Amino acid sequence: MSTILRTLRNLRRIGIKDYAHQMQNIGDTKAGTLIGIDRYGNKYFENMEEELPLRTRWVDYKTNWPEWDASQIEPGWHAWISYMVDAPPTTDKLMQTGHRAWELPEHRPNLTQTRGAFRTYSTTRPKYSAWIPVAAPR
Amino acid sequence: MNRTKADQILAWSRQGSLWPLTFALACCGVEMMGGSMPRYDQDRLGIIFRASPRQSDVMLVAGTVTNKMTPALRQLYDQMPDPKWVISMGSCSNGGGYYHYSYSVLRGVDRIVPVDIYIPGCPPTPEALLQGIFLLQRKIRRTPVTRMWYRR
Repeated sequence: MSTILRTLRNLRRIGIKDYAHQMQNIGDTKAGTLIGIDRYGNKYFENMEEELPLRTRWVDYKTNWPEWDASQIEPGWHAWISYMVDAPPTTDKLMQTGHRAWELPEHRPNLTQTRGAFRTYSTTRPKYSAWIPVAAPR
Repeated sequence: MNRTKADQILAWSRQGSLWPLTFALACCGVEMMGGSMPRYDQDRLGIIFRASPRQSDVMLVAGTVTNKMTPALRQLYDQMPDPKWVISMGSCSNGGGYYHYSYSVLRGVDRIVPVDIYIPGCPPTPEALLQGIFLLQRKIRRTPVTRMWYRR
């Protein structure tokens, strides 16, 4: 829950432009330190002192409301914003091991309802084969 | 995305206040109630549960649909005003789920109503339900209503 004093305090910190941007996107007025920007362009913020628990880390998506989606967050940042790890991917040693061969070169968001959506397919050989019926001429 | 301005206005007005007709039938219903509680707080998205099908535009089928409940569900769906959408929540309403081989359970709610969004899980978390609602909003945004009307 937000109070008037908290809103005014954060408004004084972030300015009118960011205030309008935040009200359009996250519906709250929050001030924090910019932790990092991922390759997609999302900005990640943190304020461990003043915000309520589980609201201390948040993301400012590159795409504006309502086209943003939680799947646009890269895996390392997802672990950070979901409190699985303490350190963000910019400082975490484990996150800087580089790409494995089986990993995608760039993060791919959830493409459902688009042309890139996942379609199931079978990799096994069909267990039966249909014949082409041929009618003998009469 | 090929949408006209009228489509965008239509989608904006439709997605902003999705009023679900709750159809809580089993444990999925408890998770659906959890979505309306303060932690996930769906009121901030304009989603208000309605008890009447006349006032709602999305049906949230959560739980096992038994054969006995089937005509009631279809009747409630028919009473909803157009445009209407259906979200099937949980594996029971998606395809029978755990009770797929039961003699008294409908094997998937899509046998009687057209389903827009299937939410997997047994039961799905309120987060999964909210993501399903977001996907439905995305579907509403990407539906070219007036464009298709014009083409036809």
